Amino acid sequence: MSDPTRRKGDDWWRHTILWIAVVLAVFPPLYVVTAAFNGDQTLSGTSLIPRSFTLENFKGLFVQKEGGAEVFFVRWFRASVIIAVLNAFFTVFIGALSAYAFSRFRFRGRRMGMLFLLLIQMFPGLLNLVAIYLIVLRTGEVIPALGLNKLTALLLVYLSGAMSVNLWLMKGFFDSIPSELDESARVDGATPAQIFWGVILPLAVPVLSVVGMFAFVGTLNEFITASVLLETVDNFTLPLGLQSYISTNFEENWGSFAAGVLIAQIPAIIGFIFVQKYIISGLTQGSVKG
Amino acid sequence: MNVPRETNLHMTSGKGVVYRASWLAWLISLFSGVGGLILKVVLLSLLNGLVGWTIIVLFTQDRLAWALGTAAVLAVFDFIYLRPNKLLPAKFILPGSVLLIAYLIVPIFFTINTAFQKYSTGHVLTKSEAITTNIEQNVVQGEKFFMMTPARDASGALVLVLVDDTSGQTYLGRANGLEEIDPSSVQVDEFGDVLPPAGLTALVGDELFGADAELAAFEVPLDGGGVIRTEGISGAYESEPGFEYDEARDMLIATDTGVEYSDNGRGSYVNPSGDELVVGWREYVGFENFTAVITNPLVRQPFLRAFVWTISFAASTVLISFAIGLFLAKLLDKPKFRLKKMYRSLLVVPYAIPGFLSLLVFKGLLNDDYGLINKLLPFDAPWLFDPWWARLSVILVSVWLTTPYFLLVCMGALQAIPAELVEAARVDGATRWQVFKKVTLPLLLVVVTPLLIASFAYNFNNFNNVFLLTGGGPSSDDQSVAGATDILISYTYKLAFEAGKGQDYGLASAISIYIFFIVAAMSASGFLRSKALENMK
Repeated sequence: MSDPTRRKGDDWWRHTILWIAVVLAVFPPLYVVTAAFNGDQTLSGTSLIPRSFTLENFKGLFVQKEGGAEVFFVRWFRASVIIAVLNAFFTVFIGALSAYAFSRFRFRGRRMGMLFLLLIQMFPGLLNLVAIYLIVLRTGEVIPALGLNKLTALLLVYLSGAMSVNLWLMKGFFDSIPSELDESARVDGATPAQIFWGVILPLAVPVLSVVGMFAFVGTLNEFITASVLLETVDNFTLPLGLQSYISTNFEENWGSFAAGVLIAQIPAIIGFIFVQKYIISGLTQGSVKG
Repeated sequence: MNVPRETNLHMTSGKGVVYRASWLAWLISLFSGVGGLILKVVLLSLLNGLVGWTIIVLFTQDRLAWALGTAAVLAVFDFIYLRPNKLLPAKFILPGSVLLIAYLIVPIFFTINTAFQKYSTGHVLTKSEAITTNIEQNVVQGEKFFMMTPARDASGALVLVLVDDTSGQTYLGRANGLEEIDPSSVQVDEFGDVLPPAGLTALVGDELFGADAELAAFEVPLDGGGVIRTEGISGAYESEPGFEYDEARDMLIATDTGVEYSDNGRGSYVNPSGDELVVGWREYVGFENFTAVITNPLVRQPFLRAFVWTISFAASTVLISFAIGLFLAKLLDKPKFRLKKMYRSLLVVPYAIPGFLSLLVFKGLLNDDYGLINKLLPFDAPWLFDPWWARLSVILVSVWLTTPYFLLVCMGALQAIPAELVEAARVDGATRWQVFKKVTLPLLLVVVTPLLIASFAYNFNNFNNVFLLTGGGPSSDDQSVAGATDILISYTYKLAFEAGKGQDYGLASAISIYIFFIVAAMSASGFLRSKALENMK
């Protein structure tokens, strides 16, 4: 509520407080950027304003130093991107399949099923890690590819929530697609599968993008499940790898860690640019419906 | 498994359809018709191939029940997918359900089942495995000693040439058993070394030292259950199992002393004087793990400490973040305010960065010796190494991470409050503070309360914020698994996964279930306040 009697100059205290808040908000991320380019690679050598500029920290991520430890950064990066893409793809696919069934079919247990899938989510995933660890351990005795220290096993564990996590969101969107559309397709002789692929999914691209984006970024940042299932440094995902930089040699690896953090942001940014069009159109053009 | 930083249940209503063809939509529609059919056939064949192979592996490993179970599941799959236009909902739900059951529902049941067992360090095997391990691991030295010469036969296999120290009887010891041979076929040279009979070559020099590890691991099984083991490179001794298993009485009897160890019903063999054998097994113990939280002071103390801290941590994080977020939103909630957009986008920066990375960065910033914050401040604070400072750090960093979320929420909610209401109150002579207290805040809370509850529930289990920053430490005075900043979930994690002070899956599972009920109650109360349930037709 603006007060016309007040002059512009009275805003100075608002600006002061907001500037303090902004400084507190951006100072840690800014610090990472300066640390990444700082000539002194140790934690104690860092300062807010770098004393010298270098790209050594970035080089160190890709090239093994003479007599230094083996460098796995590229492997971690590749593993993270692959598993994030696969998880996003299958999460969308599985989620859409289930949402289609709950939106378009009427069957026994439908209501109970939806409530059950909601309840399941309230059981925090972390509590299951003991059991998941043992299941993966035992599975590995039969199918080594799905055992511990395998990215495929990690992917399957991530996908366990594909059906429940986004069900309500996707079903809501599917519900808003007029059923006249699939009815007319059915009159033309389309099977439910054809309606799913040919009518519903193309119209649901915005929500599919949003769900895929959440899964993609979520996987890139997932830490704790991966830390339980992956054991050796050469099989790590990016979060685990970055953490390993500072978990052992906190002081010395600070520069590499900061540089790695910066590079780790790239896949998420690219992913966002890639689907941005759909996300924005999904949120803004909703009123076109008719 | 990967839940975004705050729950997104409330964020998107799923409204809005765009009728616009895009290349992605076009690509998807290709699967309608022949494309989809091909995909289905390929996927189904792949599935049959892989699962069929798994069944064979299960059979070869003698896991008959598992093999049959897997085959049954595969049959159900094929049955459902190969019947045209029947069981349609099942066709669409099945892929998600299988993963859901395998890695979400089964783990939940497993956790519940484990909570009723004694399942901890020393109690991880099954009972029969524990019996075998006890018999095999506890060996006592027998009476016989041998002079020994390691040799290889024509095929390269290791053979021990043995001469009994007392009787002079000679043997050949192989990996599959002991064979007595004629003493005259073995000679002892002037240095006292045993020379192998014809057909065997003695290991000498480098070859002998190279076979060091192989020799140490080599065992010659005896008929009575004992073995002959090497000692160094020229001696061997007979060893007997330390225990005998009496199946009728379910007892392990020590071979040398005759002491009887009986099943104590709690996963261990114990002798009359109360000593347990180290290797036990997992055993159902009823509600013991649940009641231990109340009755056993060693468990109760850390549990209660972690519980109180969890509540304080979650509550203060949510309340402080909400207060700051609301305050900043209120500052920005002024028409034509200069730089508004810039402030807003800079203030949400913490929300845009992956939480775990921010936490690791803060860990460096708060480092006692080298951290930047101690360099900038006029005093040195033990941010992560003093219990109370560490608690303060955890809350401060969590507030830093959470505030942007509430800033966004409050900015949206403030805009949604009808201007007429505020204006009417102002006309009636209310001060700004009165308007805020009596009009704005109550209206705001209607919208925000479910989010506050959700955020509280989220922070209640905010493992990352604690574990990545302080690791739950510093350790507390009572030397228990729970450190000063351990919340319930990180305490549980440590109980299950960090072997330092002994793992206890049973107790961890029991605490997991306590946490589930607490969180479910909170989520339910938050959910009932939101409108999500109304969506379900």
